[in-house]
Amino acid sequence: MTNKLFSPIILLLVLAFLIGPFLIIIAASLSAGETLAFPPQGLSLRWVLKVFEVESFRASFGISMFLAIGGTLAALILGIPASYALSRYKVPGAETIRTIVSSPIIVPGIIVGLALLRYFVVPFNFGILFALFLAHTALILPYAVRVVSASLNNLQSDIEEAAVLLGSSRIGAFFRVVMPNIRGGILAAFILGFVTSFNQVPVSLFLSGPGVRTLPIDMLAYMEITYDPSVAALSALLAFMSLGIVFLAERFLGFSRYV
Amino acid sequence: MFQNRAEAFALVLPAAIFAAVVFLAPVLILLSEGFGSGDSWTIQAYIDFFSQSLNQTVFLRTLKLAALVTAASAVIGYAAAFAIVNLPPKGKGRITGLVVLPLMISPVARTYAWLVILGRTGFVNKALVAVGLSDEPIRFLFTETAVFIGLLQLFLPLMIISLISALENMPRDAVPAARVLGANWLQVFTKVILPLTKEGLVIGGTLVFTGSMTAYITPAILGGSKVLMLETLLYQRVTVANDFVSASVIALILIVMAFAANLLLKRLATARNKR
Repeated sequence: MTNKLFSPIILLLVLAFLIGPFLIIIAASLSAGETLAFPPQGLSLRWVLKVFEVESFRASFGISMFLAIGGTLAALILGIPASYALSRYKVPGAETIRTIVSSPIIVPGIIVGLALLRYFVVPFNFGILFALFLAHTALILPYAVRVVSASLNNLQSDIEEAAVLLGSSRIGAFFRVVMPNIRGGILAAFILGFVTSFNQVPVSLFLSGPGVRTLPIDMLAYMEITYDPSVAALSALLAFMSLGIVFLAERFLGFSRYV
Repeated sequence: MFQNRAEAFALVLPAAIFAAVVFLAPVLILLSEGFGSGDSWTIQAYIDFFSQSLNQTVFLRTLKLAALVTAASAVIGYAAAFAIVNLPPKGKGRITGLVVLPLMISPVARTYAWLVILGRTGFVNKALVAVGLSDEPIRFLFTETAVFIGLLQLFLPLMIISLISALENMPRDAVPAARVLGANWLQVFTKVILPLTKEGLVIGGTLVFTGSMTAYITPAILGGSKVLMLETLLYQRVTVANDFVSASVIALILIVMAFAANLLLKRLATARNKR
């Protein structure tokens, strides 16, 4: 059958197209030369080390970390109770509420960022960082609700009802019975939210001010002025960071079951 | 199911109010700016927008690139997904993992790689000159081709994973049965595989199309100001000209097209075969 020969070739080409650029980035970041090139001109770690010395990268890395962790936590604090109500209660207008909560996924991020800049930051003098925090929280909320809802729907509600019948308070039943059972889903939502926020560009495009910029936006700005391999090195480092997180998540909680 | 309304609202309202205030309200106000600032509503801004030839070009280019990327990813996606589904279980898991892996990597990093590959002194040009296929470097960057390649690489994994799950849900013996009954591969594809995996194709297609249409990073890095797409045009209108009316117009166009693509593809998927 022609398939025997055809399939491996197709797979090889597709994987080369998908993964190849990433390998090239790694190779280019190990270059000893002054400009971005592949194959690299000699081997050295100078550009990898330079990444840690660029002041703006350090600052924007901190901001991106804050947004990814803080935004995801805020989205979970809003999202977990909402998911719980939507899966366990008869909520009037449940569909409308679901649509409102998940709407940030439908509208392009650049529009969200611009709208926040124009109607929150400028008129009310909101700090850029605060606006970024709101924007990232809104962006992660749909993912948090979706993943946590899926985990709640997989959990039979009888055990909470049993806990309540046996004398536990509703809140007690939630924290002692429901939470331990959906822990995996919450962690998966956290990781998905973290990666989404950390890699997010469009939402943050307009929300950057003096000294306040997310890391991807900073990388875009740096690329416009210099053509040295440090952005390649940083890209490779970040990719390894994301992959490491996802790998650990998959290893310890079977992340892909939740997403 | 619990019936207590007050409790239900207390749990669900914080999230709903947050999304409505931080997200829906500002976006709706932004969209309303495209219809005039006074008492009367007008679509003049839309007429002005579409009467400029640059805007027409950008609009059509965005549609064209999104459609081309969707079509190319569907063709490649079917071939790849079919090959993956027929692998032994262990290999299937690994290869699927490799296909999904790029989704976890920052799109800035993934797009940046193409600068190294397609640039004037890039890998492809060096190879072309060395082999003697070209006397001088060919200009790839800041062309539609570069943007197309970048977008395809960005969104192909979404199509492949949608098609993998569609193909896996297909009855195992449908293809061999059709073959035994004398269908050639083209007939197998159009009469058996395509109708049975239409939903996966639609899900993948919607993700790829809307993703490409609303992409910012790829056209910004690989297209620059030579190959503007709607999002890069929006950014330019705001940063260069403080033109929020055009921004509002582009925003609504993007949202409407995303919804239209969604509806159209859904319609196509649910349209039953007449025979």
